[in-house]
Amino acid sequence: MVSETPEEAFVESIKATYPDAIISAEVLRPKRVSVVVKRDHFLEIAKSLKDEFGFTHPVSGGALDYPRENRMRMIYYLMNPESRFMLTYGVDLSRDDLKLSSMTSVWEAISFHEREAHEMFGISFEGHPNMVPLLLPPDWKGGHPLRKDFKGEGVEE
Amino acid sequence: MQDEAKELIRNFDWVPGSKIVYNIVDYIAGWARKYSIWPIHFVTGCCSPEFMQTSGSEYDMERLGVLPFASVRQCDCIMVVGVVSRKMALRVKYLYEQMGEPKYVVSVGACPTGKGPFYDSYAVVAVDEYVPVDVYIPGCPPRPEAIIHGMMLLQEKIKKERRIGVRNA
Amino acid sequence: MTEPVIEPDIMRISWGPQHPMSGQTRIIIDVDGEKVHRIIADLGFTHRGIEKILEKRTFLQGIIPMERMVMADTPNIGLGYVMAVEEVLGIEVPERANWIRSLLCEMARINSHLYAFGLQAESTGYFPAVFLWTTIDRAVILDLFEELTGARWSLNFFMPGGVHNNLPEGFEDKVVKGAQYLRKRFEDYWEAMVENAVFEMRCNDVAVLKPEDAIRLGATGPVLRGSGVAMDVRKDEPYAAYADIDFEVVTESACDVMARTKVRYREIVQSLNMMEQIACEMPKGPIRKKVPLFARSKAGEALSRVETARGELGVHMFTDGGMNPYRVKINSPTLRNMYVFERLAELDELLVADVPVVINSIDPWYLDSDR
Repeated sequence: MVSETPEEAFVESIKATYPDAIISAEVLRPKRVSVVVKRDHFLEIAKSLKDEFGFTHPVSGGALDYPRENRMRMIYYLMNPESRFMLTYGVDLSRDDLKLSSMTSVWEAISFHEREAHEMFGISFEGHPNMVPLLLPPDWKGGHPLRKDFKGEGVEE
Repeated sequence: MQDEAKELIRNFDWVPGSKIVYNIVDYIAGWARKYSIWPIHFVTGCCSPEFMQTSGSEYDMERLGVLPFASVRQCDCIMVVGVVSRKMALRVKYLYEQMGEPKYVVSVGACPTGKGPFYDSYAVVAVDEYVPVDVYIPGCPPRPEAIIHGMMLLQEKIKKERRIGVRNA
Repeated sequence: MTEPVIEPDIMRISWGPQHPMSGQTRIIIDVDGEKVHRIIADLGFTHRGIEKILEKRTFLQGIIPMERMVMADTPNIGLGYVMAVEEVLGIEVPERANWIRSLLCEMARINSHLYAFGLQAESTGYFPAVFLWTTIDRAVILDLFEELTGARWSLNFFMPGGVHNNLPEGFEDKVVKGAQYLRKRFEDYWEAMVENAVFEMRCNDVAVLKPEDAIRLGATGPVLRGSGVAMDVRKDEPYAAYADIDFEVVTESACDVMARTKVRYREIVQSLNMMEQIACEMPKGPIRKKVPLFARSKAGEALSRVETARGELGVHMFTDGGMNPYRVKINSPTLRNMYVFERLAELDELLVADVPVVINSIDPWYLDSDR
């Protein structure tokens, strides 16, 4: 029997636990696993990632903008201190309805990254304890800079 | 302060020999002031390690009299070292207004001069939109010799001042 | 920034961007007498929008803004970006190029840790003498960089496919001589800093961060290793030539400020050993694989992880078939450690005078967290 790497074992077991909530779970290369889930089960799978699968070490969080497909994707980067591979945990949001429940209830260190995603993309996170701008000036009156249709608003002379 | 100094010149111009006295006083004052430029200890961006190397042991800026000092009221120069973002530019303006006259601004690096490698960024400004700059030192980061050359240019500029603080009189 | 309301009997100190020891950020300290009640970090003073700029540059041009994220440690940062580009374009790097990359990365690690030492000495007892020693010692490494690449800080020496130039004649001997000189100087540092009674009084048992908290709050780099957790990207996923070089991951179990200083010190000693080992065992061969100047990529993504001096840097690059990347997400080490710094006021009792000591033990570089 060919021994499984920890990445493949994880992908098998998460597909078996949540067969209908996962859109894709694959091993991209050694030490990189990518999981994309549906929006309704997002929080519940995150809790089980932390409690059952051992992803207790939060790394980062960021978002991507696909204006032509009218969606955005929010990705969280997580790590398991025992098996040491990086998991990118993503969820797709439609551009007309950018709301997501905050992951600070599961990993509190994601707080800074959600604040940045909020000011750069406009995603609002429900349940975040301290949603103030992180990097942009407090009197920023422009748009959301990292969106693809940002034309330089807020840059007054 | 420049208007008061010009008033002073006009009031005493009729005294014979006043110009010679003023020239001697200017010379001594200029010599004393140019060898003790105290910049504010304020770094705004990534040129900061090069600035610290320059005031370190190998290229010592303190032998020219340049001592980075913490208290704003007692400094006469603000060296804007590195990238100036929008949030920081407001602080640069506040610090410039808090300094006492005569005061100078040196823009160290390519970024405060003209945005440097971040020329098309939404968050970077050139510092001469906020404060008037006296000496521009280009480079990314500028070599320590370039920073010292820039400070020596500022010294030349101070030496040429007449009636303390009146530029180009 | 819209700050939280000040509670009764609490005084708010705004330790702002113009201060000799604060760096380019504003730390808001709420104090109750001498005890720190809460710390709030106000970041964003050096925000340049690097992630947006990288979308407008080609793959080769992007190295320039990316390297200016941390000026003291540019080979490591540039390597993170270049490795992501190589994964996206599917390029394999020759062996000698990997060894040269490891050499420069280790020299930069020494450079950055020396800078951290100097700042920590200044904040602990105002020992400007130690800070000035570090400027001379860093000059050794900066001169080596200048001889090889022409620049002192932002080397721009790595490119997708390898490195720019071969090592000049006699460079390996100079590296070994430099390493031996630095090794002798480090005995002075140990005596002046770590075995110093004033330093011990200010640093022992200050800001204790237990291993479970360090993992839960996402700490990285010497902050994590100073709490006993042995996580280092160079051992978990060896990149460049680290699979062939022997070194060990340095950890300390005391979890306080002194432990983090000792971790940095011992990492410098490890890096000196690595420098000598690389200079003696460097293989011969080609240094660059030819890549077209305006290379186009297929649609895909690549995530590269690199161990910089401050922690783990991640560069996640998404491409869509053009000459520029579609999106580059940078996972910065200092942003993770700043969250740990904010929570340290709750995890351990701090006094106001401890705050500069603690923040320099975390070793932040604010241009890295603000990108």
